[in-house]
Amino acid sequence: MKKHFKRILRVGWINFKRNSYLSLGTTGVMVMVLTLFSGLIAVNFLSSRIVVNLQEKVDISAYFKSDIFEEDILKIKSELESLNNVKNVEYVSAEQALKEFKEKHAGDAVIQDSLEELDFNPLQASLNIKADDPSQFASIVQFLEANKFRSVIDKINFYENEKVIGRLQNISGGIQNWGFILTMALAIIAVLVTFNTIRLTIYNQRQEIEIMRLVGGSNWHIKAPYLVEGGLYGAFAAVITTVIFYPAMFFISPKIESLISGVSLMSYFTANVFQFLFLIFFVGIILGVVSSFVAIRRFLKA
Amino acid sequence: MIELKNVSTAYDDSLMILKGISLKIGQKEFVSLVGPSGAGKSTILRLLTREINPREGEVILDGVDLATLSSSEIPVLRRKIGTVYQDFKLLSNKNAFENVAFALEVCGVDEEHIQDDVPKVLNIVGLSDKMNNFPHQMSGGEKQRLAIARALIHRPRIILADEPTGNLDLVNTYDVVKLLMKINELGTTVILATHNREVVNAIGKRVVTMEKGKIVRDQGDNGKYVI
Repeated sequence: MKKHFKRILRVGWINFKRNSYLSLGTTGVMVMVLTLFSGLIAVNFLSSRIVVNLQEKVDISAYFKSDIFEEDILKIKSELESLNNVKNVEYVSAEQALKEFKEKHAGDAVIQDSLEELDFNPLQASLNIKADDPSQFASIVQFLEANKFRSVIDKINFYENEKVIGRLQNISGGIQNWGFILTMALAIIAVLVTFNTIRLTIYNQRQEIEIMRLVGGSNWHIKAPYLVEGGLYGAFAAVITTVIFYPAMFFISPKIESLISGVSLMSYFTANVFQFLFLIFFVGIILGVVSSFVAIRRFLKA
Repeated sequence: MIELKNVSTAYDDSLMILKGISLKIGQKEFVSLVGPSGAGKSTILRLLTREINPREGEVILDGVDLATLSSSEIPVLRRKIGTVYQDFKLLSNKNAFENVAFALEVCGVDEEHIQDDVPKVLNIVGLSDKMNNFPHQMSGGEKQRLAIARALIHRPRIILADEPTGNLDLVNTYDVVKLLMKINELGTTVILATHNREVVNAIGKRVVTMEKGKIVRDQGDNGKYVI
């Protein structure tokens, strides 16, 4: 069995070497396909980062009446934090709010003067709440509006932001859905291109296959070296793709980073290098082997 | 050993290629199947390798009706038979050694025996110096001798030769015929389909003459090609 396997590998390798032009062409097409796959991984990473960035920007604030003690607010904060759908809650005291407001409008003399005129802090203490998912805000608001808190909360800015939050949800949902559809569509095209290329390669050798059958080759005996050959196209294509893809990321990454701050493609692919290699080799080899398997079946049926 | 019982067959519905053929071939016989093109000579050989099935009748080899073989048993049948064709049917991306070795590999012979046997057979057909050559680097005669080496290597009990000299010049034709006769002398049944009268007459063995899908003459030893 081991000898048999070794022979199959050897014959597959010899065929790969001898059909160098065909092998080169098929490997080339697979390189394009795998590069496309890698590109899709990058695009998916970017779109998910964009969605996360957008979602991080969305929060709602609950403003408390001025006569409420800080410890009561902090109690509400810890109650909110214990909810499943709440990501984090930040307490902003009235003083802090004023400080931030002043800093924000440092250049605006009118605002600064009006604030000076006042002998009290017009701003309220608030809790900034971020949800795991923007669709959860409605239930968080419901929780806050329950009888228990109604008397201490002055207002919640959810209703003002509701539209924006809804639109944002649509956008991020759209990016994810369309991204998925696009990925699947391109993946299917890639698989079809690979399959057809390998089918043509094997079609070129249909006479050889016929002769092998006449000499008494069993289906597996004929098929196995072609599967090895298909796997080799995939493996070589994966090597070449990696060699092309990483330097490309090295150059593209800073440009993307300048557009979307804090998103580094290079560090993502460096951190996940083993997963990437595994995925690209796995996809390449499986694609090659399965395409060969399907393509050769036709010639063995007759 | 080989028996065709009232066999008729066709490639499509319209045209019957064989019409009620009955033929018995014993072990170690050398039979020349002769007749003009389209007489049905090659079809008989294709029935024996189960490339096609009869429409009517039975094709029996060693007591087994070939129509009853399952698709996985067909390769096993073909390993019992060596085949030589007019167009050689060599594997173009394998060299001479590998072409012959392939017939052994499919039989599950181990590497040591392959390394041992292949050079010997290539020596018998006079190709020991062409072992690493690919078919496209060989002449017609060399290709046919290589095909015979491949047909011989697994010591089959039957060799089917379909117009093996059709593409060869006179010298190579006789080389190939001599080889086939030598193989027959060593105990292998040989069925030679040809329309080359000189070849058949020179062999001087049993001659079965076909015309339009029927056997019109079956001459025993020292048969001649009579039109």
